[in-house]
Amino acid sequence: MTSPHLVFQSLVLGVLLGGLYALLAAGLTLYFGVMRVVMIAHSAFLILAAYLAWWFHDRTGIDPLLSLAVTVPLFFVAGVLMQRLLIRRLSPVTLTMMSVLLTFAIALVIEGLLGYVFSGTQRRVQLGYSGSSFEVLGARVAVVKLIAFGLAVVALLGLYLLLKRSRLGQALRATIQHRDAAALVGIDTDRVAGYGFGLGLATAAVGGTALALDSTIYPSLHWHWIGPLMAIIVVGGLGSVPGAAIAAMALGILQSLLQLEMGTTWAQTVFYVALFATLMVRPQGFFGGRLAQRF
Amino acid sequence: MRSASDPASLRAARWGLLAVAAALVFTFPVLAPNAYILSAGVVVANYAVLATSWNFMGGFTGYISLGHAAYFGLGAYGTGLLVTKADVPSFLALVLSGAIVAVLAVPIGIAALRVRGASFVIVSIALVLILLLVFQSWSSFTGGSNGLNVPRPFPDLLRPEHHLVFYYLFAGLLCLALLTWWAVDRSRFGMGLKAIREDEDKAQSLGVPTFLYKLVAFVVSATFTALGGGLYALWFGDLDPIFQFSILVGSYMVLMALLGGIRNLFGPLVGAVIVGSALEYFKLEFGDTQFHLVAAGLLLALVVLFMPDGVLPFIGDQLRRLGPGQSSIREVSAGELLEQNASRGDLPGQGDGVEGRAAPAPSEVTR
Repeated sequence: MTSPHLVFQSLVLGVLLGGLYALLAAGLTLYFGVMRVVMIAHSAFLILAAYLAWWFHDRTGIDPLLSLAVTVPLFFVAGVLMQRLLIRRLSPVTLTMMSVLLTFAIALVIEGLLGYVFSGTQRRVQLGYSGSSFEVLGARVAVVKLIAFGLAVVALLGLYLLLKRSRLGQALRATIQHRDAAALVGIDTDRVAGYGFGLGLATAAVGGTALALDSTIYPSLHWHWIGPLMAIIVVGGLGSVPGAAIAAMALGILQSLLQLEMGTTWAQTVFYVALFATLMVRPQGFFGGRLAQRF
Repeated sequence: MRSASDPASLRAARWGLLAVAAALVFTFPVLAPNAYILSAGVVVANYAVLATSWNFMGGFTGYISLGHAAYFGLGAYGTGLLVTKADVPSFLALVLSGAIVAVLAVPIGIAALRVRGASFVIVSIALVLILLLVFQSWSSFTGGSNGLNVPRPFPDLLRPEHHLVFYYLFAGLLCLALLTWWAVDRSRFGMGLKAIREDEDKAQSLGVPTFLYKLVAFVVSATFTALGGGLYALWFGDLDPIFQFSILVGSYMVLMALLGGIRNLFGPLVGAVIVGSALEYFKLEFGDTQFHLVAAGLLLALVVLFMPDGVLPFIGDQLRRLGPGQSSIREVSAGELLEQNASRGDLPGQGDGVEGRAAPAPSEVTR
């Protein structure tokens, strides 16, 4: 019934989608790593960035990719401020629980404001190259999807290099591994946690711009993203960046393949099935270590 | 906690307040000037049932579920489908769907309660999203996005009378939920649940069967929520997956319970009255705009940031400050004081001798 040709096509689409998932899941992992915060508002910021890209394009007619120059620094600062002004005010004992509620509240506010300012109408960026595509080994790939994937890969690579090569990255990884020990060797963990938050939100800015290129956006879209992303970070193991990236790729490809047989809506359930299966078999996730155990 | 100077009069005052509140609840339909206000009252009563049901889990065990809308929707759809597809009498269908959800909640609870804290919240959200997907896609059975029409249980009643009957039905269910909560609160079982809330590992090491306790609380909470949902289905008569399995409904439950105070019997009820009326007001004032989302979000953020214990304990603190026994003369010995200070850690080494000069202001003592 399904030709190998179609399977290959969805495999390619799955990889392209998985890249975006991986970038966003990496952001979520960063927040969790530095602050033990599950950031429900991550996907709301994603949609916000997508709206900003659309709005920028709509107003100026310039390619929405250029809006990155504004949104990435803006989101970075927003992330730092959010950690400074809001998350840090919560009492450490109930931080994990209360931060979920707080970020959930932020997500509601963003969704509400988007609906209020831009109305609930579905929006889409129309570009000269929106419709164009090319063939690779018989699979048809839309240019915008490839650009989105490229953005995700570049951003992930940048994040990886930053974490592995720079002093800030070293401090970040130390804070993720053991906050108290990091503080003992002289790392200003509070400041580093703020930067971690900023970097996380910056991934949402990149992801949002990529999303705006090839999807229709509307204010409540973020609920369709947060579920899969949450599932990805639980399957990958909370706090493990490579785990999140691998789980994102695997689940993205799986979703894309299942779409052939089951249609788009049912294929989305693969994330939740994976989530519940993971909890039954390995509650700490497949790649997470000690960190995920108690969360 | 604090034993007042005159417990008898305090108890009398509490019973009096309770009687006044109950009288207000039961005469509300008579006082309501029109059918719209009455229907808003039904909505608030429904929210009160949901928030109190949520509090079986959130209040006792401290497991915050953002996905209780799942049981609300399951109860509503269970009732609706039993009535429409199997021709079960309305209220039998309500009870049956409550029982079905109770059975379903066992495996769900076993899966969800394997994790704590943040992961539990993620699972609870995922549950709502998955059910939303299923009920939207499986349209041959559930009616999908076209909705499901549930016939009214009393077809010959006029609309205001219909609201009136359901107002009392919701109030009755609320009483049942409150009584159950009260009974659990005073039981050994409730003590075990609260021990889990304070420190799960310690509770376990002291021999509390934590997993079983959590599971029972989870199932009770889900069942009451489902009954609230079923009653909603019979009252409203029109179900749509978007509204039944909405994260927003789940978050309203959390907001109401937190705002009122999750450690208080009447906390969720008070929260439901405040938030429910505010939501109705916003809908009336701003119509279909997304503004109520902003309002709900801001309120939730404010509660989480500034009043995580809820408004009832907050008011209680304020009243206690006005009451007697709040002079700066301490009723503790020097040893006890030293211990308190050590555990608080902010006033090191303050002994009896310096107390006269350096006694903190009464407002500081109450904190």
